[in-house]
Amino acid sequence: MADGVRGASPITTEILRNAFVSIAEDMNAALIRSAYSPLIYEGKDCAVALLDQDGNVLGQSLGVPLFLGNLSLCVQTTAEMHGWDFFQEGDVIFLNDSYIAGTHLNDVTVIQPIFWRGQRVGFSTSRAHWLDVGGKDTSLSIDSTEIYQEGMRWAPTKVYEGGKPRRDILDFLRRNSRFGATLIGDLHAQIAAGETGEQRLRALLDRFGYDTVQAARQEIFGQSERLEREAVRAIPDGVYTAEGCLDNDGVGAAPVPVKLKIVIDGDSVALDLEGSAPQTRGSVNCGFTQTISAARLAFKLLINPGRPVDGGTFHTLKVAAPPNSIFNAQEPAACAWYFSSLGLLIDLFLKAMAPAMPDQVAAAHYGDSMVISFNGVDSRTRERFLVIEATTGGWGAWARGDGQDSLINEVNGSFRDLPVEIFEHKYPARILKYAIRTDSGGAGQFRGGNGTVRQYQLMDDANLSLWFERSVTPAWGLSGGAAGLGPEVVIQGPDGAEERLLKVNAKPLKAGTVITVSSGGGGGFGPVGLRAADQVRSDVQNRFVSPAAAAATYGVTVT
Amino acid sequence: MTEYRVSADIGGTFTDFVFEDEAGHTRIGKVPTTPQNPSRGVLDGLNAELASPGEIGFFVHGTTVGLNAFLERRGARTLLLMTAGVSDSYTIARGHRTHLYQLQYRKPEQLVPRRDVHEIRERLAWDGSVIEPLNEDDLQAVIETVRAQGVSALAVCFLHAFTNPDHEHRARDVLREALPGVSISLSSDIAREWREYERASSVTMDAYIAPVVELYLKTLRAELSKAGMDKTIHVMRSNGGVMTDRIARDQPISTLLSGPVGGAIGCVQLSKDTGRPNLLGVDMGGTSFDLTLVVDGQPQLSTETSLEGLPLLMSVVDIHTIGTGGGSIAWIEAGGLRVGPKSAGSQPGPACYGRGGTEPTVTDANLYLGRLATNSLLGGRMSLDAEAAGVAIAKLARPLGMSDLELAEGVLAISNAKMADAMRTITVEKGIDPREFTLVAYGGAGPMHAVELAFELDIREILIPRFPGTFSAWGMLRSDIRSDFSTSFFAPADSVDPQAMRAACRSLQDQGRALLEQEDVAPEEMVFALSADLRYVGQEYTLSIPFTPDSAVADILGAFHGAHERRFGHAQPQNPVEFVNLRLAAVGRLSRGRQAFAFTPQAQSPVVGERDVTFASQAVRAKIYNRALFTDQSRYAGPAVIEEESATTVVPPGYAFQLDDWGNILIQKEA
Repeated sequence: MADGVRGASPITTEILRNAFVSIAEDMNAALIRSAYSPLIYEGKDCAVALLDQDGNVLGQSLGVPLFLGNLSLCVQTTAEMHGWDFFQEGDVIFLNDSYIAGTHLNDVTVIQPIFWRGQRVGFSTSRAHWLDVGGKDTSLSIDSTEIYQEGMRWAPTKVYEGGKPRRDILDFLRRNSRFGATLIGDLHAQIAAGETGEQRLRALLDRFGYDTVQAARQEIFGQSERLEREAVRAIPDGVYTAEGCLDNDGVGAAPVPVKLKIVIDGDSVALDLEGSAPQTRGSVNCGFTQTISAARLAFKLLINPGRPVDGGTFHTLKVAAPPNSIFNAQEPAACAWYFSSLGLLIDLFLKAMAPAMPDQVAAAHYGDSMVISFNGVDSRTRERFLVIEATTGGWGAWARGDGQDSLINEVNGSFRDLPVEIFEHKYPARILKYAIRTDSGGAGQFRGGNGTVRQYQLMDDANLSLWFERSVTPAWGLSGGAAGLGPEVVIQGPDGAEERLLKVNAKPLKAGTVITVSSGGGGGFGPVGLRAADQVRSDVQNRFVSPAAAAATYGVTVT
Repeated sequence: MTEYRVSADIGGTFTDFVFEDEAGHTRIGKVPTTPQNPSRGVLDGLNAELASPGEIGFFVHGTTVGLNAFLERRGARTLLLMTAGVSDSYTIARGHRTHLYQLQYRKPEQLVPRRDVHEIRERLAWDGSVIEPLNEDDLQAVIETVRAQGVSALAVCFLHAFTNPDHEHRARDVLREALPGVSISLSSDIAREWREYERASSVTMDAYIAPVVELYLKTLRAELSKAGMDKTIHVMRSNGGVMTDRIARDQPISTLLSGPVGGAIGCVQLSKDTGRPNLLGVDMGGTSFDLTLVVDGQPQLSTETSLEGLPLLMSVVDIHTIGTGGGSIAWIEAGGLRVGPKSAGSQPGPACYGRGGTEPTVTDANLYLGRLATNSLLGGRMSLDAEAAGVAIAKLARPLGMSDLELAEGVLAISNAKMADAMRTITVEKGIDPREFTLVAYGGAGPMHAVELAFELDIREILIPRFPGTFSAWGMLRSDIRSDFSTSFFAPADSVDPQAMRAACRSLQDQGRALLEQEDVAPEEMVFALSADLRYVGQEYTLSIPFTPDSAVADILGAFHGAHERRFGHAQPQNPVEFVNLRLAAVGRLSRGRQAFAFTPQAQSPVVGERDVTFASQAVRAKIYNRALFTDQSRYAGPAVIEEESATTVVPPGYAFQLDDWGNILIQKEA
């Protein structure tokens, strides 16, 4: 054995390594199978992880990439607050406090300690987006300014104690949500997922014994850590920086700066967010835990992206963010739209690392979920309706290829657009246009992906909310490539009057109004002069680039 | 003259045959596939076993011609016609990612590039009413392009055509008149279901492979006729049924997955024969491991699938595939031992094939441990190189500080555990407990791994069917003519108009009957099965609930809540439910011509030898049996190896086996 630990052969180690990942997948399948809310079983807005007795990841399965490594941190933070003996056999603990778990209050983390022969041997953990946790608005508020407006806030709380349900807690949960039955259903789905993990881990311990599983765990973590250190050592040492800003916090008008410095030194990566905005009145804040997760996601995009994550991963990464900043928010900062800042952080991380890892990075993508939402009463059924749509956009080009057109943003999980046929059936509106936005990707040797245009015509009066970002910092190019176009939303009233807006809360509109949303393109990579004329011609034939832009930008005439 | 029922399963490397005569005697055949013109291989195989193809009374085959044309992107250049304004829904492809940590993610490559997507001005509203009539000038522009550029296939997908196909029909009439000989596919013919991207993806697939499939079927018909075979040619379809070649030419998409479904239908027959309602069928070959379920005697069907990320709305037997097979390669990463996902495939193949492979594979480990003998493959026509396997294993064992034997056992243990993990995940997803199932193993490598897989899943019984290496072909002979129809039917369950529902069912039934008549099915052999797709309001996905024309809506609802409880672990009878689609399976029962298996006296004992086989690090002397020489239902104890032409079955110590009434090997854990 190379440098393994006595007690686990390479065979047992590999069987257990595969089994841990498979257990996480089974837990995920159990959660999705029994969840009540479509956000979980269709949107896959959830994550599960099987952890060891110290809270390190054994195996994980994610629907949302932004939750990377976060469940581990939730368990470790809970232990810091209450000690490891807080976790007793038969307990089920849940929490959603943004300043502990890091994300908005709708994301609820459930922790179940796993015991085997009287000993704590691990944890089943999961996180799922609950439909409604009792905030001032149904689901997410766009204009909240304090966390108290966003819903119930729970520190780590036992909802089962020693195997017995706490009926008072369950009752409190049920009474404080607009969809109480669904909430309880989703909680139980998470518990069922945890039980799947518990049974499977215990079965492995029965079969292989505690010492062997421990030894294999050490060896698995060791393998991952060796591979990670190797990959980090290959990055040239240096100090790498980048900055950019969000348009605003959704409430005020001022841009929200994000600034980062990365120090690579041997096999360590230190990310410092000093200089980023103080926490804002609007809800683009997050707890530090979620900042660490976002940094891990950015890191993962560059370092061994194809490998599973476990307790040996991320030891080379250190993250620091000043207290009371948007990345280390404190009470009472609002956190509903926390992911807009984190999306920018991830893009900037890649930008900073571009000089050191030119082949792995990509130019910036269009950057945010670009949400349009409207509600009103459907005159066909006289029932209330609520549309919430995220919009796809262009991704950045990279050293060997173009960016992808019309693809959902990085921090989103298993999003799929809503087909026009379903949309028009469900809602009193028509989609007049759904198209790739020609010429919106940044030019370059490799072209940035194009954004998306979606045009809605209201058949009934409705109130419109918008969250379109990244007009101040559109997707930048790299190595001489040009930036992509930013987003644009045009509202044309039935009288023909036009208005341009990017963020708004509950704006009343008349039937007949046409709303055209255009998401941004991705950045280009490399100088335009190096783009092959054949590729320009192909782009024109496929209408990704207009003949005019081909002539003006690339100097290629296509007839 | 004897008449044979014959099936042919045309795979990538071999074409497998099963021949059954009127007395129920079965023979198998195997010839190399001839990819240039697969009909040649079919004729070779028929001629090898029959006096003349004229002896064929019934012929069915599974073909990969359409699938290969797609996989190798050799289909016809296709133009896609879509509604003006929203035609990019095809290229946007719903905008999602399937890899979460990939900055350079690319969507699956579409069959039709954006420049070949043509916008046609026309527009229907959500209820099918016309907002903008079909603009026939736009069709003229397409006609000119087709003529100028020699395009041979057209696909049409208009918005809301699943509600009202008039514009698609009119477009087809105009195009067909102007462009005789060009293949035209309509989205409303492929699937009367909502979701324009999925319909467009399906209809382009149909158009793309249509000319290739048609040419193949024409050639096969001509060559078989020339050889004296004038009976109808049947083709296996992805839904587990069969169809005549005439229908296959109209619906080429339904031939796409016609190969592996034979195994699933074979499992359904085993379920009936042996009275075991729940089976887990596993097919292990050189590069992949396929898993299929029979629950309560029924195959599991989906109404949609995908190939290389492209969605297809069609009825298909569920088969889950993972990339573990005999060719999976063992390697070292960061000091750890891994098996797969890289495969040696059939070229160069495992080290023991002696074709230049030097990395140890699962097959090499099986040979090293004595589970395979050097003459086990292809009835001994292919000989294996034990030395090469040993060298490859030693090369990997040394740096890990393991003995060769430990490494070989480890490779099997890791690959078995991986397959078992996959099986567990799939059963968890479906809310099924595998311990209540019997494992059925087939394919060249399935019977070798079967008992260990069963052990991992706590399954106590294993069935190895007759001719496991050609089981898919055998399953094809157990199939019926089947065609599936669907129609969208949106209605809240509390306000369904029973008359509208009856009318929709009648229309489906009329379509089904018309098709079965085209297939020459006699009225008394026609069976129609209705089902409805229902869901809770707010869900996207549906459950299919069987019903009859006399069913009350309340009964259908009750069945839905029950099915939801079984599948998802909970039901919400107080929540509103809606109907989404109605479906009809039109089945034309075919004569199975099957008789019970009979033992025949043999001059020789079934024990043909002994060799050392390693189990749990111990070499033990195992008896070697020849499957063809069993004369009764005696029970034999493991360790044992049972050899036959197309597969090798391994029975470890602690298990016993016997043949059942149908000639299957039944392996059971000894108490």
